[in-house]
Amino acid sequence: MVKSDNNIFECNNITVSFGSVHALQNVSVAFERGKIHAVVGQNGAGKTTFARVVAGLIQPSTGKILVNNKQMLGGDVKQARAAGVELVHQSFALPPSFTVAEAMQFGASNGKIYSRRGLEKFWQKHLDNLGVNVKSKQKIKDLPVETLQAVEIARALISDAKFLILDEPTAVLSPETTDKLFERVRQLKQSGVTIILVLHKLKEVLKIADTVTVLRGGKLVQSPISCENIDVKKLSAMIIGENASQNLANSNRAAPSVAIKPDTALDIKQLSTIKDVEGAALTDVNLTIAAGEIVGVAGIEGNGQRTLVRAIADMVGIKSGEIYLNDQNMTQMSHLERRSNGLRIIPFERNVEGLSLSSPLWENWSIRNYLQRPIFSLIKPKEDRKACNTNLKKWNVHYSNVDQLAGSLSGGNAQKVILSREMDDEAKLIIAAQPTRGLDIGATDFVWKSLRKARDNGCGILFISSDLDELFDISDRVIVFLSGQLVGEFMPPFDIKKIGAAMIEADL
Amino acid sequence: MEEMIIAILRSATPLIYVTLAGVIAQRAGIWHLGLEGLMIVGACSTILGIVLTGSVFYALLLACLFCILGSIIFWFVVEKLKANQIIAGLGLTGLGLGGTTLAVEAIFGTPAAVNAKFGLPKIGYVFGDIFGAFNGLSILVLLMPFVVFGMWLLICRTRLGLQITASGEHPFAARSVGVNPSRMRFIALMIGGVLCALGGAELAAGSLQIFAQNMTAGRGFMSFAAVIFGASHPIGAMLAASFFAIVGALGIRAQLVFGDDVPHDLLLGLPYIATIFGIWLSAKLRGGAKAVSGFDELRD
Repeated sequence: MVKSDNNIFECNNITVSFGSVHALQNVSVAFERGKIHAVVGQNGAGKTTFARVVAGLIQPSTGKILVNNKQMLGGDVKQARAAGVELVHQSFALPPSFTVAEAMQFGASNGKIYSRRGLEKFWQKHLDNLGVNVKSKQKIKDLPVETLQAVEIARALISDAKFLILDEPTAVLSPETTDKLFERVRQLKQSGVTIILVLHKLKEVLKIADTVTVLRGGKLVQSPISCENIDVKKLSAMIIGENASQNLANSNRAAPSVAIKPDTALDIKQLSTIKDVEGAALTDVNLTIAAGEIVGVAGIEGNGQRTLVRAIADMVGIKSGEIYLNDQNMTQMSHLERRSNGLRIIPFERNVEGLSLSSPLWENWSIRNYLQRPIFSLIKPKEDRKACNTNLKKWNVHYSNVDQLAGSLSGGNAQKVILSREMDDEAKLIIAAQPTRGLDIGATDFVWKSLRKARDNGCGILFISSDLDELFDISDRVIVFLSGQLVGEFMPPFDIKKIGAAMIEADL
Repeated sequence: MEEMIIAILRSATPLIYVTLAGVIAQRAGIWHLGLEGLMIVGACSTILGIVLTGSVFYALLLACLFCILGSIIFWFVVEKLKANQIIAGLGLTGLGLGGTTLAVEAIFGTPAAVNAKFGLPKIGYVFGDIFGAFNGLSILVLLMPFVVFGMWLLICRTRLGLQITASGEHPFAARSVGVNPSRMRFIALMIGGVLCALGGAELAAGSLQIFAQNMTAGRGFMSFAAVIFGASHPIGAMLAASFFAIVGALGIRAQLVFGDDVPHDLLLGLPYIATIFGIWLSAKLRGGAKAVSGFDELRD
């Protein structure tokens, strides 16, 4: 570790334990002033814990933290903030019913009694100065994620932040908004703020960061590594560990598409829906997915991808048209009947729609079976626990026991629980909505492999992703949505320019 | 008409005080079902205070003291012992209802109603004859609009209010700016304790000068309903509480008008029916009441 006055932040031998699990073990890092530092690692490597220790949200069991050569108590947010340390959370910590102005105010330190208008004017000025395009009287719950993030960053900057930590800021952003975020981060660096970015897309790391720190399994692998001397390959080897990375490289090349069976898994005819809460209404959508085919859906968010999923899942009103699942008309079927006929969904929001975070794993896992059974069928906890245990083991989920709450799992493991539930042998059509969002390379690769395997077993797969690289990588065919209409269909080799053009017309 | 307004003010004021206590607790993330218990403690200790000390000031002080004590117990059980709020709240209510009866019996040897020689000072007594027909109302009625306004300022126009609200709505957000949600709940419950004491005092010593077993008769729960109906906004909750009081007053009026044509019990039940209707209406308008989002995630 480099001892130098130029370090804004140092920590020595930090250990954090939750029960018997060590989230961080003897981590010692120093960050140099005025640079952009990336912290990378797999899900569960301790990145978020590290960020929270720095911000004072978590008290380390042992170790010392120095900010600006001043020792911190640890576990004291006020002191950390007073020293200029601010954390922007992955799932934004803004109360939904607040207006933007109120959300800024409640963490600030100025003012006694305020008037609503005065408050809005005051913060509007601050937001405008930072170039955040939002009205301060808007409610938090009405804002899209990228704006929420901008608001959180703006809030972090109100009190003269010197040291800004962004926890997986790109996980919720589309590629375009990611670039905007990076632009903002670079501006902050210009103005003298030291920035830590917790990231897991390595391309992004190399694009933005000056140094990178690698964590694996709660331990420090190496820090700080200058980004000039490293490439994606070396970095991913460090993140995953040497041996594992070999396997990963091999598996990426494996299994091209196997002979496609002629059956259709999904057939949508002239489907139009009413206006949906989560995006554009569908108009006249025709879509066929063959068994054993992965159809990728591209499009800028909010152009009907979510509505399509909700229409297939019987969650939005259908105006006209028909939906066939395995040649069976399911337009009038309920969600549960559709599931009984082989529909499986890996939903957009894994922590909201996919899992009940406050329920144990085995309940989360066995619920699908019960939904497909008669309403009075008895729950057999013992058998379910056992079945859940065997299945989660098979899917390589890291957990301590099946009674632990789903909310205690890391993102990648939570997604694996959903995969193991939704990708059973009776699945005929799997809808995978942003299944790799927020996952690290290891877990992403796992999801891809699973989808390919399901495809080879004869499942039709509808794959929605905002990451075009990923989409091109695993889809057999890509369709593009624009304002609720299917505007393009592309076969490999995919031409990013053509597909991009089809997506962008949305803005014209 | 004047009589009607006076009757409504009389029955609405205790409700409004207690409702405000519920509002600030709700904001901080606590479903305060102990309101009924705190209210009757406030009523009982006011009357006992007047009887035993002969001073209204000491009586009110005593009421505040006991209600704050009750609130501290409630906070400790909910925040430190992590008990379920609903159960703990109902427990507090039970403690209040039983404890007051016990206190009366312990002091006077009989559970019968306790009469005080005088009640809270009347408006006319303090300010002279300037309010005409309203002179006979207690000063707490006059104070009520100011307290509502003060609570509105506190909750909707100060940073403390925002921090209290954030602690209830998104504790993690509160924590991440260095606010301790548990402390905010403590502050909210203490303020609520004082408000419940005032509500109870007005009920027992405002126009009456008597304490009887169970005299709150569900008003605490009605206040809680007003919290929900009023969207836990101080003004909204005040309007909701007033609405219940108006329905109650109309019920009494209707008894006089209809006599025996309409069953007497049905008219007495009107406020309670209005409560159910109010809750239904608010759920219809705003979606069901939101539970506390206490799921503090601490993971990667």
